[in-house]
Amino acid sequence: MPEVSKMKKPDVKVVLLGDMNVGKTSLLHRYTERRFKDTISTVGGAFFLKQWGPYNISIWDTAGREQFHGLGSMYCRGAAAVILTYDVTNWQSLAELEERFLSLTDTANHDCIYALVGNKADLTDPKAQLSPDSDVASEECEESGCPTPPASPASLSGMTLHKQVTPEDAAALYGRILRYKGLEEKSSLPAEKLCFETSAKTGYNVDTLFEALFDLVLPCILRKRNENQESPTVDLEECRGTSNKRTRSACC
Amino acid sequence: MERDNHQEGEAQGVKICDPPCESNPPADTLATSLSLLGNHMFPDPVERNNSTTVNKQELSNPILSDVTEEEKSVDAEPQSNQVTKLEAEEAEISECQNNASSQTLDEGTEDAATDNDRSDSGEFVVAMLAKAKLEEQGIGVKGRSSPLLEAGIQESPAFMSHRDEDVTAESWRQHRKHVFVLSEAGKPIYSRYGSEEALSSTMGVMMALVSFVQSGDNIIRSVYSAEHTVVFLQKGPLVLVCVSNSRQTEQQLRGELLYVYYQIISMLTQASISRIFEHKKNYDLRRLLAGSEKILDGLLNLVDSDPSFLLAAVHCLPLASSLRDSLSQILLKAITPNLVFSILIANNQLLTIVQEKTVIEDARLEPADVHLLLNLIGASSAFQAGEIWTPICLPLFNPDCYFYAYISYLDPPECTVCLLLLSTDKEAFYAVAECKRKIEEAMTAQNSLSLIAKVQSYSVSQVGVSDLRHFMYKPFDVPDNYRQLTQFTSPEMEAPYSSEEEKMRLLDLYRYMHSRIHSTSRPLKLIYHVAERETLLAWVTSKFELYTCFSPLVTKACAITAITKLLRWIKKEEDRLFIRYPQKYSTTPNPSKSSRGGKSDQQDSTENGFLSLL
Ligand SMILES: Nc1nc2c(ncn2[C@@H]2O[C@H](COP(=O)(O)OP(=O)(O)OP(=O)(O)O)[C@@H](O)[C@H]2O)c(=O)[nH]1
Ligand SMILES: [Mg+2]
Repeated sequence: MPEVSKMKKPDVKVVLLGDMNVGKTSLLHRYTERRFKDTISTVGGAFFLKQWGPYNISIWDTAGREQFHGLGSMYCRGAAAVILTYDVTNWQSLAELEERFLSLTDTANHDCIYALVGNKADLTDPKAQLSPDSDVASEECEESGCPTPPASPASLSGMTLHKQVTPEDAAALYGRILRYKGLEEKSSLPAEKLCFETSAKTGYNVDTLFEALFDLVLPCILRKRNENQESPTVDLEECRGTSNKRTRSACC
Repeated sequence: MERDNHQEGEAQGVKICDPPCESNPPADTLATSLSLLGNHMFPDPVERNNSTTVNKQELSNPILSDVTEEEKSVDAEPQSNQVTKLEAEEAEISECQNNASSQTLDEGTEDAATDNDRSDSGEFVVAMLAKAKLEEQGIGVKGRSSPLLEAGIQESPAFMSHRDEDVTAESWRQHRKHVFVLSEAGKPIYSRYGSEEALSSTMGVMMALVSFVQSGDNIIRSVYSAEHTVVFLQKGPLVLVCVSNSRQTEQQLRGELLYVYYQIISMLTQASISRIFEHKKNYDLRRLLAGSEKILDGLLNLVDSDPSFLLAAVHCLPLASSLRDSLSQILLKAITPNLVFSILIANNQLLTIVQEKTVIEDARLEPADVHLLLNLIGASSAFQAGEIWTPICLPLFNPDCYFYAYISYLDPPECTVCLLLLSTDKEAFYAVAECKRKIEEAMTAQNSLSLIAKVQSYSVSQVGVSDLRHFMYKPFDVPDNYRQLTQFTSPEMEAPYSSEEEKMRLLDLYRYMHSRIHSTSRPLKLIYHVAERETLLAWVTSKFELYTCFSPLVTKACAITAITKLLRWIKKEEDRLFIRYPQKYSTTPNPSKSSRGGKSDQQDSTENGFLSLL
């Protein structure tokens, strides 16, 4: 922690968006702490600095509640990647992405990467009920002392829930997002690369999601580091604060 | 929350309180209104409610934020044996009475003063609440409009807690204190136990009660029954209802409802709530509050278990003044434009607080606002590793605007020391986060965290008075001298108050003493109360308010000597026990350390005032 708190300047910004209760906080928690635990509905937004190799990635976990809608565009300003999260058992959560959240990303970078993530796949897909590797499985056992809360009645009874959102629905939305952003489908990353189904509960696909995204924002990181190097040296001496701001608005 | 109410004088006249006899208009009409609501709910309303007590007040007092206790002026039938017995064991210290400044103390007749009109009648309120519920199985959730909510409901087990309680079960009715929030249109907004949907018709009944009384240009304030007190508070378009069997007074319960209201305001602001309901009378506010239930639940748990709320004062952690000063200095040096408050908290208690002086000229943070902030932090700390940035309104500071709160723990993974920075600039996150780095650096350099880690609350044994078990001491601010945060100090609750039940029992005794001290009809300055398992002494002067708890064997004379010693001890320790000189900064920081003298003078006279009584 002292490492991180020394405020390495973040290289890029990644933002988690999506309706309340879809599992944004749980996903991030699973990725950073390797655990699934009880959450409470996020207030405002929470900022995290994730060390990824030599890079510092800032991640904003935002609140899905309508109450905090006004802050969304602030969190998204200069974002290099936005993770649009929905709940595969809840059609409305996908619809909300288009209705409520997409417009918030107007302040993101022009080359921002959009990922569509259908969470809670464990409720609908048997394959997502298994932990991705033994590592996680053993951890689940350890936790049995203080059991993780039942996330839904279905998971309690071991039944699967009706899946309301298919990967095709997500891919179609991805297409509409590109169109909204005025991007050519051909020249953009394909839906297969940016649509994920995950389970924060079992860990299914969670690392895959974050690692894939970080790989994709790497060019942005490098470009930004480059820009910083190219920028005149006086910058460092004279106006730390302003250079800070400028690079942020320029890239991430 | 207890302030004198200027409205009260006028209110007395129009206040209607029913003696337990037939054919009193309010009860009658109430009964009628209830039966109009639907006969299924009240099979025999008229017969039961002829002794119900309903307190109403003229609409000319639109603001209900304050509290009155008129019911006491209309004393009624004798109470249950329990109450009488309690009272009999109690006596005022008459020898002090004559000396104690101008105010007179009540004696003897006192016994009758605490009564509320209690009778079985109020049973029906409970019956009403219970009956109404049976109804709803049929009603279902037709009122729901938001898809957002459906998502929430689908997953409701995730909310855990009491949300999915069976509202038809006896256990639901047994809860010590129910709190409901509804809109003027009768839409459920919040229920402490059980989901709002399941309770929608119960809330409908409540709203019908409110609007019925309103239609006669009155405001319903409370309903009493043998076991329950139902208190209503209307604030703008929101109606808050408390159904309690905790024996707390209406005044105290209304104060608690006010905290609930403020917490809602802190999330949405008063202006936006008014705007929403002006725009759409039957708006479903849960759309905006969904997800905040845990914050309200947490608040109500704190209200029940933390005397800060009762005393309307802030509890700060005892700290060597040198350490507190150095922490304040660290905060003073880490500032940025638009930063207005910097607060350091450990284990939910204040370590120090500094504030901008020009932005908030002559203003200070109200204890209630601090309580709301602390509750928010407590409730949002589930995910402690991140740095939180969230809008928050401080209702007593300004109910219509937002601050932006930066919340971060300084000692992960333990997460006991929390930094709270309040800015007026929505975009200031990165600048404010930078302040945190500075604070963190300075604290590391000075080893502050490990010093804080050693700090503990204190034990009453440190006072060195053998029969003293616990106390709460709240010095009053003297506005002319120095405006500072109202605080109180109190030792840990130790044996025999270690279990949750015993803690609660002591708090209930304090609440009882508090209600006597703050009775609007017969305020007392000094109460010596011999309870079954302890003896309590409460004393209020113009300088302080003090509640003490002794072992049951203590004599009156011993207690008084003990209090003298206690006050001396507090005086000696006050630099450690309180934040004495809240510091201010500005963009050109150079905080003055004035007004030292003023505060000390006050404390001196405090003690002298008491000693002269003996
Ligand atoms: N079964 C299952 N439940 C999940 C999963 N992820 C999250 N949940 C549950 O869904 C609920 C909401 O999770 P959060 O992570 O708090 O949701 P959020 O998107 O952060 O919500 P807001 O902060 O209000 O926007 C919690 O009760 C989680 O336990 C998942 O992958 N599977
Ligand atoms: Mg969240």
